Amino acid sequence: MLTLHKTTALDTDYLETLGFVWHTDSDETSYISDELVVISEAEAEAYYEAANELYDMYIEAAEHVVENDLFHEIGIPFNLVDVIKESWESDVHWHLYGRFDLAGGLDGKPIKLLEFNADTPTALFETAIIQWAILKKNNLEEESQFNALYEALVDNFKRLVTLDEDVSTFEERYDGWSFLFTSIKGNSEEENTVKLLQHIATEAGFETEFAYIDDIEFSDEDGIVYNDKSYELWFKLIPWEDIALEESDLAMLLTNIIKNQKAIIFNPAYTLLFQSKGLLKILWDLYPNHPLLLEAAFEPLDNQKQVKKPIFGREGGNVSILDKDANTIESIEGDYENHKMVYQAYTELATDTQGLSYQAGVFYAYEACGLGFRKGGKILDNMSKFVGHLVK
Amino acid sequence: MKYLNKLSTMATATGLGALLATGVTGCTSNDQQQQEQAQAKGAFIIIEESAPGKYKIKDEFPADETRIVLKKLDGTEKVLTKPELDALIKEEAAKIDDGTSNLTKENPQVSQGMGLGETIMASMAGAMLGAWIGNKLFGNQNYQNNRKAGYKSPSTYSKSQKSFNKPRKSSSSKRSGFFGSKKSSSGSRSSYGG
Repeated sequence: MLTLHKTTALDTDYLETLGFVWHTDSDETSYISDELVVISEAEAEAYYEAANELYDMYIEAAEHVVENDLFHEIGIPFNLVDVIKESWESDVHWHLYGRFDLAGGLDGKPIKLLEFNADTPTALFETAIIQWAILKKNNLEEESQFNALYEALVDNFKRLVTLDEDVSTFEERYDGWSFLFTSIKGNSEEENTVKLLQHIATEAGFETEFAYIDDIEFSDEDGIVYNDKSYELWFKLIPWEDIALEESDLAMLLTNIIKNQKAIIFNPAYTLLFQSKGLLKILWDLYPNHPLLLEAAFEPLDNQKQVKKPIFGREGGNVSILDKDANTIESIEGDYENHKMVYQAYTELATDTQGLSYQAGVFYAYEACGLGFRKGGKILDNMSKFVGHLVK
Repeated sequence: MKYLNKLSTMATATGLGALLATGVTGCTSNDQQQQEQAQAKGAFIIIEESAPGKYKIKDEFPADETRIVLKKLDGTEKVLTKPELDALIKEEAAKIDDGTSNLTKENPQVSQGMGLGETIMASMAGAMLGAWIGNKLFGNQNYQNNRKAGYKSPSTYSKSQKSFNKPRKSSSSKRSGFFGSKKSSSGSRSSYGG
């Protein structure tokens, strides 16, 4: 049973002033838990080490996919293969940030990788800002938190220019390149997550601007243009697979823009390799029985409880828990039933006294840099709650 | 461990304090302009009737607008009109839904060619024309395997793939309006985070 620390919640007016407007779910309950998960320093350290090790393994697995042309196996849309290869070849396509979803890590249970949200991770605002503000409000300032996400992002934005661990040469090497930040119109969580990233990039020293995707012009020759100005750097909180499937012309244009070196796009196209749950199977092939991994395959696993999930599903859509005879015990509906499926060995999530399950999210920006939790049913969906933490 | 910080040092070291005072929405420009959705670029496709009622893709290359030429068994040629194309795609979408399309069957008998709607959907242009049913198809493993069957020869397929991936030098016109009609499904919460 995990340990929770009760706090006084942040009031919604304050959250609104921060731009954190998605504080209340559609059923009128608060999205932010008023409790914090209490962890030890050793547990925080273990999350940190695990995410760093997993990232190295993801690099190896992606290299394996590129070398052996396994794009199709892991469900990558054909019209992104070129841009993925192109982005994989050069360091300028720097991975800005991602979030590992992990089971375990509490109460002596082993940490196990569930998946890696490498392309368009949210929960950034909650992890970097909100859980920190909760501590402040509750006079817990002197406590530590595994949360340097904000400053890690400042540094990693600088690395887009220095391409090195050392960020001290940023000012000298930054040549005024303009950075455009983009989301799709109509979703305030996405828009304000992007605006937070823009804020951090501005602090790092970039010249920045925000635009909705449908107001931006794209061309092979002029690159990415907004209000008659070209942008050399572009961050989009729009999944690559949505670009591939819903706007295939845009996929083609972005491929050409990258090949013609007109702009650099974040997160890079190769992060879709990490994002594909098909990579879980590749990881198991390369690192069988690795302590951080759960067995994964493209067909049902023999004789064990398992989770079936679509390669590019989100928010638990079409995820099912199967018993050892592959009968469905529990499932969530969604739009991904036609997707290729991955079968991953089941692992128990930590639970509280109400039986709610807790999953850790460890952010990675050059190295592991922040921790937050989500709680919900056995399959975490879009109604799951964010839970901050406290290191004691 | 580098990133286990005392909060007091963090607030002074970064602009987080300033952010908490002003929020992220206070300082950004609000310059939005609606733009008309530009016309999609397309493909020029030649489809050949290989047996009565069976078709294969003979050639395919990128073009500014989509045009599909049909060469029939009797040697006549015909350009498919937009309403004809729309009807074929709609019909094929219904077949995909009820599972009778060869595109989504596991090992369809397609050595003679596929139906006209199926052949069009197997082409690159099909992927663009039918973007609205794209999710049904691209998520489908059989579709990926069967697309190749729509081509007259394996080299037509790989040539088509190549020419679509080539940087296009000809056009300097800009395109915009992507995702312009996308509706946000669930209000203010994002579904991207996983």
